[in-house]
Amino acid sequence: MANIVGDTVKARTFDAIVIGSGASGGWAAKELTEKGLKTLVLERGRDVAHIKDYPTTNLYPYELEHRGEITYADKQANPIANRCYAYKEDTKHFFASDEEHPYIQEKEFDWIRGYQVGGKSLIWARQTQRWSQYDFEGPARDGFAVDWPIRYADIAPWYDHVERFVGIAGNKDGLDTLPDGEFLPGYPLNAVEDYFQKTVHQHYGKQRHIISARCAHLSEPKAIHIEQGRVKCQNRVLCQRGCPFGGYFSSNSSTLPWAMKTGNLTLRPFSTVHSILYDQDQQKAIGVKVIDTDSGEEIDFLQRLFL
Amino acid sequence: MAKTINRRSALRTMLYIAGGTLILPACFRDSGRASIKLTHLSIKESDEVMLESLVEVLIPADDTPGGKELLLHLFVLKMVDDCHDPESQKQFEDGLKQFATWSQKQLSMPFNDAERNQQTELLTRVEESDDESLIAFFKIMKRRAIQGYMSSSYVMTNLVNYEIAPGRYNGYFPMDN
Repeated sequence: MANIVGDTVKARTFDAIVIGSGASGGWAAKELTEKGLKTLVLERGRDVAHIKDYPTTNLYPYELEHRGEITYADKQANPIANRCYAYKEDTKHFFASDEEHPYIQEKEFDWIRGYQVGGKSLIWARQTQRWSQYDFEGPARDGFAVDWPIRYADIAPWYDHVERFVGIAGNKDGLDTLPDGEFLPGYPLNAVEDYFQKTVHQHYGKQRHIISARCAHLSEPKAIHIEQGRVKCQNRVLCQRGCPFGGYFSSNSSTLPWAMKTGNLTLRPFSTVHSILYDQDQQKAIGVKVIDTDSGEEIDFLQRLFL
Repeated sequence: MAKTINRRSALRTMLYIAGGTLILPACFRDSGRASIKLTHLSIKESDEVMLESLVEVLIPADDTPGGKELLLHLFVLKMVDDCHDPESQKQFEDGLKQFATWSQKQLSMPFNDAERNQQTELLTRVEESDDESLIAFFKIMKRRAIQGYMSSSYVMTNLVNYEIAPGRYNGYFPMDN
């Protein structure tokens, strides 16, 4: 990580600035740095380096104080985070605490947040389906919003592009509602699921389909994944601790290290973006004002492209 | 006046705790007996000793360690103290005291003084009693003791052969009949 020293504008100017290091931020960083752009990625939370900062990843159940269970006190302090299936004793350090980050809910809304490098890409459920033509046509067809200017056909090649790098396991199911993609071998269903699939097909085959969910796991890594330093998923079912094998996709295991290798990435944790700097004359956003959450100082970063 | 602590047995207790569970905040009773610090529960030493016998009756030692050796009674107390809501904790406390009274009446002697087969037989009758807190306590105790046993270092390493990275998924694993 490049050290931003000195108070010169040059040191604080980049070709591109990316706000957030989650799944989207990591991808932006990868694409931009690959193209030679000096890119600054700003993350409000702390750094989480792949493997090094996964403190619980190799703990056995009896090494956890409550064998993985959340205490009553924690449930009272973080009632919303506790609604997330993945919020357990071994993973709670990757979730934003409701105590520290309360919000008003007029109607119930479980805003689950991960305020660290990698964001929710560390703790997500890894279920990855393509939107279909029906989703893109949805607003126009069902009249709930302004018609989108793009369709599935426009995005399809980009789905291919992302899926190849990320590694998505799935079968060619031939359903237009859940389009097929660039898949690694799909995970087989178990005995009960197979029976369920057959029975549903028998009775509702024309309208209902049971498939093995497409997921961001390396069922069989390809060269591109090995090149990222990731290997085959080991079926641990401990993903949300952070995976030492890189078996599932996260910014931490995949896009950020890849971007770092180009030499064009500056990753700055503890950087909350305060506001966008907008130049009235140029009619352009020219940068961001950051509050360093460690030191409290305000820093303006400038850029030529804005994301 | 506190008696001197037998350091050998205290050390052994700490090692078992370290091997079986993360190091519990240990403390010692006036008698010198090793125990854990509780925040919400208030348990008499005699009831704790009875609880220790209970988990041993539930999971007796054979050629593998039983509830007593694995300190399951401390695990039960810790989980109830940290992870249960106040209502459940009260049920546990009341039920534990009730168990002492009820078992004394049923056996005509304190639970700890009875023969193993009498103790075992008594446990099968708990759920027949009318006492709600007794039954609630017993269910909690049983559930937590089993949880403590199955997830203990000894059982996971030697009996279950827990694999942290199986490297496989077999959706057709045969169940024994």
